[in-house]
Amino acid sequence: MTTLHAYLFVAVVLFGIGLCGLMLRRSLIAMLISLELMLGAASLNVVALTSLSGASSSVGQVVALILIGVAAAEAAIALSLFVAIQRRAHSIDVEDLSELKG
Amino acid sequence: MNATGLVLGLAAALAIVGALLAVGLRNILHNILGFALSQVGLAGLFLTLGSDFLAVVLILVYVGAVAIAMVYAVMLSHPMDVAPVPRSRLKTAGAAVLALVVAAALWLLVRGAAFPPPSGPLEVLAGVTGHRLVSDYVLAFELISVLLVIAMIGAVMVARSFHGHRARTVGSAPAAAGAPAADPGVGAGEAAR
Repeated sequence: MTTLHAYLFVAVVLFGIGLCGLMLRRSLIAMLISLELMLGAASLNVVALTSLSGASSSVGQVVALILIGVAAAEAAIALSLFVAIQRRAHSIDVEDLSELKG
Repeated sequence: MNATGLVLGLAAALAIVGALLAVGLRNILHNILGFALSQVGLAGLFLTLGSDFLAVVLILVYVGAVAIAMVYAVMLSHPMDVAPVPRSRLKTAGAAVLALVVAAALWLLVRGAAFPPPSGPLEVLAGVTGHRLVSDYVLAFELISVLLVIAMIGAVMVARSFHGHRARTVGSAPAAAGAPAADPGVGAGEAAR
């Protein structure tokens, strides 16, 4: 197992934990946390692959920085949406938010 | 080399343990603390890859901003006195098995792939990254700043508009407030036809 594979293994484990949390948890905030874990695993993959294999490593850093920026914008929007949903529905449990269920 | 390996192992353990805490614990505040721990571990991993600037940005953004914003959202929205209903064991096992299968498939894919060796020695400087950010990737850089401004304004609008809506309905009778709001919409729709 090379050093690159160690990083990729950590990324796979983080992605799996995030996926499990996304399916398991019912609070919207906990689901957002799981989503951010999966995004972190993806950016770790990008940085590790560009640093330890082939391409120029500053490209990977730029991609990871843009990923962090997009994730921050997404978190800001999502959290304000959660507050708005809580005001309307008095719950942020996804199983209570079933108005559109047929 | 050995020191790097030690730091790598420590950071990887921190990231994975933090992620497990972020997903496994039932208290949402503990989840957020585990998430922050996991991001610190991830920053350590970036540090071992020579990306010191990225590690600092990760800690600043995730531990400093996103985790705090999550705590605020919890305080504004989560009923802390209500204990969460435990998930059924079947659903827990199903989610764990499905995540395990996906992770195992990804790992087999990664192990089977042939990655080319690095073209040169690992030398990443924050200056090189910064220079690329304002020369080759300047469009993406500017778009990110536009996106962040839009997200900030959007977050304020979303969080405020519902507040205004509630204040209006609380001010007058809820049924009376709902009926006039529906009527102009219907009238406008018929006028358009």
